[in-house]
Amino acid sequence: MRTKVKTTAPASPEARFMRVLQALEQELLDASDEEIIAAATDLGMNPQMKGSALFAGLKYPARLQLSDFFELGMAARLEAEQTSIVVPDRATPKLTK
Amino acid sequence: MRQIQPLVDTKVLRPAESALALQLVTEMELLRLKAIARLHARGLPPDVGWDDLLQEALTRVLVGSRLQPEGVPTVVFLAGIIRSLRSEHWRRAASRSRRQTLRIDQANETVPHEVELRDPAPTPERSLSARQELAEIRKLFALDIVALQIIGGLADDLSPEQIRSAHGISRTDYDSARKRMRRTLLREGLTCERK
Repeated sequence: MRTKVKTTAPASPEARFMRVLQALEQELLDASDEEIIAAATDLGMNPQMKGSALFAGLKYPARLQLSDFFELGMAARLEAEQTSIVVPDRATPKLTK
Repeated sequence: MRQIQPLVDTKVLRPAESALALQLVTEMELLRLKAIARLHARGLPPDVGWDDLLQEALTRVLVGSRLQPEGVPTVVFLAGIIRSLRSEHWRRAASRSRRQTLRIDQANETVPHEVELRDPAPTPERSLSARQELAEIRKLFALDIVALQIIGGLADDLSPEQIRSAHGISRTDYDSARKRMRRTLLREGLTCERK
């Protein structure tokens, strides 16, 4: 008897990509803690270390900004306080018609 | 004058920090989710980062807009939310582009009283992006022939047994290739380099 060959339309690139993505996601879900530590060690990082770069984007921003190093908010507040204590100069008379 | 201490701490906690504090996830699980979010951020526009996907997924769980079904592990549940956020992004992008096309049509008065219903099939832009991203994933395993055969098989919707028999891969070789793939994916997912 002849073998029946099932022919199907070729899947779209999107569908092919999604299948791979889902399978790789499953691989990551199956990864053990030891495998995660080993991969981190390959990158020269230690998850046990406080402030490890591994947690960038998780515990602290992935994209560091100036405000992460300097208290820019504090500077702005101080500036606002300084301007608020400026007394208007009443000695200069207003020009009126 | 005596300074009165503020009653509320001004430090804003990130959703991942809150999830850790509430013991919703462990640090290891967060790292696993980081790698998953990075995988799903592939092909998204540069303004949508992997950290946006992950923090948004955690926020939805924390605020209760997504309820975890009983028996589903938290990491699996969060990975599902990340996946749906990605699809949501593409749906929004497609509807935005449809609205723009409609507006252009109306401005040109080519179809004043007709609304074209479009096929929900992927747009050429999305297909191109998917092709490019798949090529990028292949590049990660460029030197690993068995891994490339596995990826090809997965894209063709083959089962592990079918992939093994199609390429004559032994079970041991298949499992070692999967292990190597996991290590590469984790390295890619945990790196500090911006992609």
